[in-house]
Amino acid sequence: MRVQLFGTCMIDTFFPETGMSVMKLLRHFGVDVSYPKGQTCCGKPANSGGYARESRKAAEQFISVFEGSKDPIVTPSGSCASMVKNHYHHLFKDNTMMRDKALAVADRTYELTQFLVHELKVHEAGLSGKGKITYHASCQLTRELGVKEEPLLLLQSLNGAEFIPMPYADRCCGFGGVFMAKMPEISTALADEKLDTVLSTGADTVTGCDHGCLMNIADAVRRRGARIAVKHIATVLAEGLK
Amino acid sequence: MTSTATSIPFRANAAEALSNSPLRAAMRNATETFAKKRTEATASLPIEEWRTQASDTRLRVLENLGEYVDRFSANAVRAGAKVYRADNAESAVSIVGSILKDRAVQKVVKSKSMVTEEIHLNKYLETLGFKIVETDLGEYIIQIAGEGPSHIIVPAIHKDRKQVGRLFSEKLGCEYTEDPAALTKIAKKILRDEFLSAKAAISGANFAVADSGSLVIFTNEGNGRMCTTLPPLHIAVLSIEKMIPSLADLPKFMRLLPRSATGQMLTTYMSVITGTRKAGESTGAEELHIVLVDNGRTKIVAGEYREMLKCIRCGACLNACPVYRLVGGHAYGATYPGPMGIVLTTLLEGMEKAHPLLDATTLCGACGDVCPVKVPLPELLHKLREERVERGFTPYLERQGMVGFGFAAESPQLFSLGQTVARVFWPLAKKIPGLGALERMPIPAQITFGRSI
Amino acid sequence: MTREELVNLFIENASKVSAETVRVTTDAELNGALTAILADTKSVFCQQDTAKEKSVVIPPDKRIDDYTGASVCIEEVAGAIAETGSLVCSSQGGKPIQAGLLPGHHVAIVSAENIYEKLDEYFGALGDSPPTNITLETGPSRTADIELTLTIGVHGPGRLTVIVY
Repeated sequence: MRVQLFGTCMIDTFFPETGMSVMKLLRHFGVDVSYPKGQTCCGKPANSGGYARESRKAAEQFISVFEGSKDPIVTPSGSCASMVKNHYHHLFKDNTMMRDKALAVADRTYELTQFLVHELKVHEAGLSGKGKITYHASCQLTRELGVKEEPLLLLQSLNGAEFIPMPYADRCCGFGGVFMAKMPEISTALADEKLDTVLSTGADTVTGCDHGCLMNIADAVRRRGARIAVKHIATVLAEGLK
Repeated sequence: MTSTATSIPFRANAAEALSNSPLRAAMRNATETFAKKRTEATASLPIEEWRTQASDTRLRVLENLGEYVDRFSANAVRAGAKVYRADNAESAVSIVGSILKDRAVQKVVKSKSMVTEEIHLNKYLETLGFKIVETDLGEYIIQIAGEGPSHIIVPAIHKDRKQVGRLFSEKLGCEYTEDPAALTKIAKKILRDEFLSAKAAISGANFAVADSGSLVIFTNEGNGRMCTTLPPLHIAVLSIEKMIPSLADLPKFMRLLPRSATGQMLTTYMSVITGTRKAGESTGAEELHIVLVDNGRTKIVAGEYREMLKCIRCGACLNACPVYRLVGGHAYGATYPGPMGIVLTTLLEGMEKAHPLLDATTLCGACGDVCPVKVPLPELLHKLREERVERGFTPYLERQGMVGFGFAAESPQLFSLGQTVARVFWPLAKKIPGLGALERMPIPAQITFGRSI
Repeated sequence: MTREELVNLFIENASKVSAETVRVTTDAELNGALTAILADTKSVFCQQDTAKEKSVVIPPDKRIDDYTGASVCIEEVAGAIAETGSLVCSSQGGKPIQAGLLPGHHVAIVSAENIYEKLDEYFGALGDSPPTNITLETGPSRTADIELTLTIGVHGPGRLTVIVY
């Protein structure tokens, strides 16, 4: 099986090691992963800020990079996947040709855990893990994509690790893209509350499917000097590969 | 309301609210309790089906709102009411004022109504010399405190029992107590005398039934019933979008409104009031005046934000909102807070005044999930953000930054250059005012993922 | 659903919203259910208009004609809704339905044959010219306006007794 990986600008810029985990994971399950050149950002930050013109530019770039193939497009981010799947076609409501292209790439796009569970059955592979793990359910992943069970199935399947559910797991962490910059007081307060619930689980690792949230939670951890690892789910899973 | 040049200082209000720890504790308690009760009350019920049906009914009304309003008016008149149309807040308050002046009434008992907050009715009537007595306990508390509501269902939720106790002993001259039951008893006693002596009442309405001309009022305390059955004069003030087609449609909303608001199966009282007291009856006002307030709604219903007017004011989106939970209703500086409030305030009061409220959301989508009539709040919030950008209400630096983002997003070379520049200048950039958020992000990697594979 | 099942469903749901419920089938049982209530109170308002109201025996010294000053209101209400445990109070036929609101204790007699299973059944049949005031009463008056602490008996009655007859 072949897939095209959309790495996301955040992983590309800040967290290349998470990208490597994604590659490792997919390849381990026999997937031929390509990383199409020319990919930039899905446009989510501009889109959530209300900048339709700029997000359209990003969407056009994404479409031009990915449209030449019929392979699934996999991305390790709920919010980027949702941007492509749920928002692109709205950006081209006055342009039938582009809208059709947007719908075509949307159709091929999977958030990582969706792909791992539904296409690769990774949750049945008996991967190993360690320690106590809790999970933050990010907003677009949960509510826009409806991906609720997949990450849980994966985490619960890890041999040797204990999965501890977090209270209010799907409550916003306060990242919100531009929100983080424009409303720092509320953003940090929400991150602090999120960290409270994270720590209430007694876990040694908190994971999730979106680096935006994880970065925001990691910042709360840093500010508080808490002792808990913050890892993308791809990293957690890749660590359990033999 | 006419918009003023000053915009609502949401960020400053929010910062103040965040440093108020009793407020935060009260808000957390209220929103979490309500959200939990709502979840329990809607579990194992065909709630999705109900939401769809209720949404369809509300949308059907909005698509022909003028017709429903006309039908309601005709039927209410047939049942003995007088019906007035007020295009704006000024005209609405003056209609109410002149009804009261003509009857030489001194005092008015009032049952909770958000639209009367929107049109600032109390303030207007007080300047005319009337005594207005709010009779919902929460409204009564904030009235004697001289404040506005912080939640559309529990208006005084920002006050804890100690604050209410101090307020009562100071303003009502009673002995200090912080026991909610004792405080309730004190208010009940005062308000009972007001009810029995009042010659006029003002209420809102949760729904207006077009086919019968009925008003529908939900309350738990019984104050709505007192207001609408004891004084001989009843003035109902409601906004035009409250219409539902017929009484047969009412059960769908009876199932959804209390469950979404407080998690109750039904509120203690729900009254359907149709016109005035008729021959042989011993209940009902002798005079019923219904003031239908437009205040910009005809314009909203004709535009792309129409679905906002499906809202039935249950408050579920407030309780679900992470931002509202932290800062409470007053930070929004407007009548309606929370997600529905951001949208409605922007539509009613204008972008110029309300645009800072559009930052009071993380677009997390929780509000859309709980709305009993499926108002697409996340979509409407997003649409308004787009409108804000189009109309130039975002800061200059942000706009320039986004232009830069657009160029980089469509050019991989420029994007890559941007990443390099960001890495090099990161330590410096953190110190630029407005870029403080960079402090909370890691330093860009030496080698990007794209280049490392 | 049989009549008796409907009665039981109504009683079950009315109990859930803190109403005290009694099932009676004779005038003697009705007065039996009222004995303690009448003994404890000073003033009772009862219009004694319907047949069932007429069979209520009230000591003359406790009877009061002004409901605003009464401690207890005994009345037969128009009906009830089983699914929500609600009483249907209607102004039809000259009932002062505020009489059930002002006294601290509302004693409502519900005729078993006037119980509807669903809200839709009742409201669907109401038509376009209902009586001036129809009020559904579901449990005693309540508020949670101070710190969400539930307090029973604000403006309306703090005690609600439902007698299904």
